[in-house]
Amino acid sequence: MITEFETRLLGIMMMVIMLGMGASLTWRDFLIAFRKPKGVLVGMLCQFGIMPLLGFALAMALDLSPGLTVGLILMACMPGGTTSNIFSYFSKGVLALSILMTTVCTLTALVMVPLLLEFYSSMAGLSGEFKIPAANVAQVLVVLLVPTVLGMLLRKLNPNIGATIELLGGFMGIVVIVFLVATWVPRNHQLLAETPWQVYFAAIGLGLIGMALGYALARLLRQDNNRSRTIALETGIQNGPLAVLIVTLSIATTIQQEVLLIPVLYSLFIVLSSSVVTVFFRRIATREALTRDRMKAGALVGG
Amino acid sequence: MKNETPFDPSHRPWFATYASAGIVADLPAPQHASLAELVQERCAHFAAEQAAKRLKHPAFSCVMPNGMNGRLSFAQVNEQSDAFAGYLRQTLGLKTGDRVAVQMPNCLAYPVVAFGVLKAGCVLVNTNPLYTESEMAHQFNDSGATALVVLDMFADKLPGVLQRTGVKQVVLARVNEFFPAIPGAIVRGVQKVWSRVLPPVTVPHVRLGQALAQGRVTLAATPAKTYWKDIHHDHLAALQYTGGTTGVSKGAMLSHGNLLNNVNQMLAMGATHMEVGRECVLTALPLYHIFAFTTNLLGFLSMGAHNVLVPSPRPVQNLQRAVENFPITWMTGVNTLFNGLLNEEWFTAYPPKHLKASIAGGTALHSAVAQRWTEVTRTPIAEGYGLTETSPVVSFNPLRGTPRLGSIGIPAPGTEVRLLGGDGLPVAPGEPGEICVRGPQVMQGYWNNPTETANVLNDGWLATGDVAVMEVDGFLRIVDRKKDLVLVSGFNVYPNEVEDTIAQLEMVLEVAVIGVNDAKTGEAVRAYVVPHPDHVGKLTAEQVLAHCRQQLTAYKVPRSVVMRDELPKSPIGKVLRKELKAEAQAQASKAR
Repeated sequence: MITEFETRLLGIMMMVIMLGMGASLTWRDFLIAFRKPKGVLVGMLCQFGIMPLLGFALAMALDLSPGLTVGLILMACMPGGTTSNIFSYFSKGVLALSILMTTVCTLTALVMVPLLLEFYSSMAGLSGEFKIPAANVAQVLVVLLVPTVLGMLLRKLNPNIGATIELLGGFMGIVVIVFLVATWVPRNHQLLAETPWQVYFAAIGLGLIGMALGYALARLLRQDNNRSRTIALETGIQNGPLAVLIVTLSIATTIQQEVLLIPVLYSLFIVLSSSVVTVFFRRIATREALTRDRMKAGALVGG
Repeated sequence: MKNETPFDPSHRPWFATYASAGIVADLPAPQHASLAELVQERCAHFAAEQAAKRLKHPAFSCVMPNGMNGRLSFAQVNEQSDAFAGYLRQTLGLKTGDRVAVQMPNCLAYPVVAFGVLKAGCVLVNTNPLYTESEMAHQFNDSGATALVVLDMFADKLPGVLQRTGVKQVVLARVNEFFPAIPGAIVRGVQKVWSRVLPPVTVPHVRLGQALAQGRVTLAATPAKTYWKDIHHDHLAALQYTGGTTGVSKGAMLSHGNLLNNVNQMLAMGATHMEVGRECVLTALPLYHIFAFTTNLLGFLSMGAHNVLVPSPRPVQNLQRAVENFPITWMTGVNTLFNGLLNEEWFTAYPPKHLKASIAGGTALHSAVAQRWTEVTRTPIAEGYGLTETSPVVSFNPLRGTPRLGSIGIPAPGTEVRLLGGDGLPVAPGEPGEICVRGPQVMQGYWNNPTETANVLNDGWLATGDVAVMEVDGFLRIVDRKKDLVLVSGFNVYPNEVEDTIAQLEMVLEVAVIGVNDAKTGEAVRAYVVPHPDHVGKLTAEQVLAHCRQQLTAYKVPRSVVMRDELPKSPIGKVLRKELKAEAQAQASKAR
């Protein structure tokens, strides 16, 4: 259960996250993305092709209840969060590509998420109260565009403010998850203890398998190692807080707890699994960079 | 041409070009007695302009890769550097002519410290922050530096260095020096917590902030002007170390007069594309290198320009926010930097729209890069030529008119250039000869090294070790470094020519050519090729050779082509052929 107050707080935090995301991009970024769209297209394919299909497949294979299934499918249909940009930065990935993917996916999410949700929900045979109204999802996404645009304007106005809220927004993504853990887990430890392994498998697997498939597809489509690693992280890391927000805003309270289970567990575990993957990727990237650049001039400034 | 002896030193065939290119032929004598006076007067002037709202930009901005930035106004630069001069003279007790080593990448502390040293009447010893302990020890011992200003990121080498040198005082600066509080704290936090680039400091030191505070107190009793009022053109301003190519580096003695004159020479060449108080120059090359030091730091400051400092241009993406957020009108760079930018989509899609012109130096600008740069930015790029020993500008392509690709242009006003053959006599027109330079920018000699000085300086003429040809109208074309020349069965092959040919291939990102020992031909040409990222795995050595066979005489065609991921480079991005040579030699001896 999530209280009214917590829902509002979550909404505000989400606004900060989107403000930060707006500050991470410029109009030029979009225009460049459309000039040479291959990298972003590959990313989109991973994001909206692999992930929802993976979510659906996991739900079917593990034979999850309708409540859990809708949570899992919603989670799988979400665009990437700004958290992915931080992980991409820390793993020495292609930051520009990560930001572009997040941006383009978040914007196209307006159309893609309701469509995908509708499609996979009916494939899974969900109906009645287990169906999230597409209009609701679209509405939330539209509302979140406001802080995004505001962030873009702020960055244009003052680069220092822009870079600061960009970082702030990224960290807020982690704060929200910590917040969820702190408020939700203690009240639901009973539930967590009773949760069958299938649910944990789905929540953790969605992220990890998503990354693996994203990497494989990117390599298959001839992206280089570093870009593929970036796409992998971007694919596996979904906007967890957004899913939680959508659930709290559109699902009746009686089944809310069950639907929330996977998005919350996913958000919790994705921080851990992406941290591990980031350290791993960073090591590979460093090794690659070292063999390339023995002059180590690139390490001059870490800021 | 009135007569046919353009190589008579008294005759300067390039004079005709000055007028048509809008360049003054007679270099005016410097208006200032010293660099300290130049900095003081110009900063005060532009600070007044700023107060009168005729000038809107700061003197310096420093931009981090994430776009965070700090700035210093002209008034602040003057005030802070006065304070630093006070600290050096009063607190540390240094005297006129004492050497102060400064070891920092581009950051806001650099101009404050460098100008402070000059205002104190001391001698600036620019030091590469990436130097190893033994390189640092050599430079500090050779120069006799007693004080060192270093960025705290590089403090880890200090314990080992200090005990081997005469450096007694250490001042530590931060890369986020003079940043606003919040961005500054974030930059610092990232350095400390995430990138872990801040080593623990175990040697006694003073923070720059404290040093400035201590120095500021002394100014009431002794104004900073006291220290520089007797400094004149002949006084030493900087010891600029060079010549790593021959093993041990030597300190080129650059006087206030050398640098003041070279600033004027550089401004004379750029005058047609510069407006006082209106320029914004991208400073991606390190200021501790003579090219950016004279051109960006001194030259553009005296124009009242806004200097946008980038701490590290590598990876080249670090420049993105600087280019996006500031109205860049001028750029200085080296071939690799321009090439790097041309391979960035954000740059080619949206080249800086206020850009007026760019100067390339440091190493040969490949004609393919020059052509593409002009196409992409629609502004001229002028290749210049210079050396540490000449403060550095010797020659420069006029910005007005059609640029002459592959030429290093005509000598700067006030400079005499002649080409000497192996016999020490001027070569016949069109023949290659070693560039010899005489002019007000030529160094006083190498510090404490009369033997090396005598090797290169003769009757005011500096032998550069670079081979060039001069066209009838005085335009110079570098053939190559004298020592990089490859002798294939008695034929001279100039690596630059081969590199330029290979660089024409679109699939090639970078290329370096060297000579390797060969049993049959004495030496043989070897090319190291870095394929363009879009063509990795597709470009073959055979394709490179086929192109060379089509474009070059047989003996110039490389014997071997080696594919690589990257080329070894110097801090400013010059490709280091000597490292490749050492590598090839090591491999050859291993094979044997």
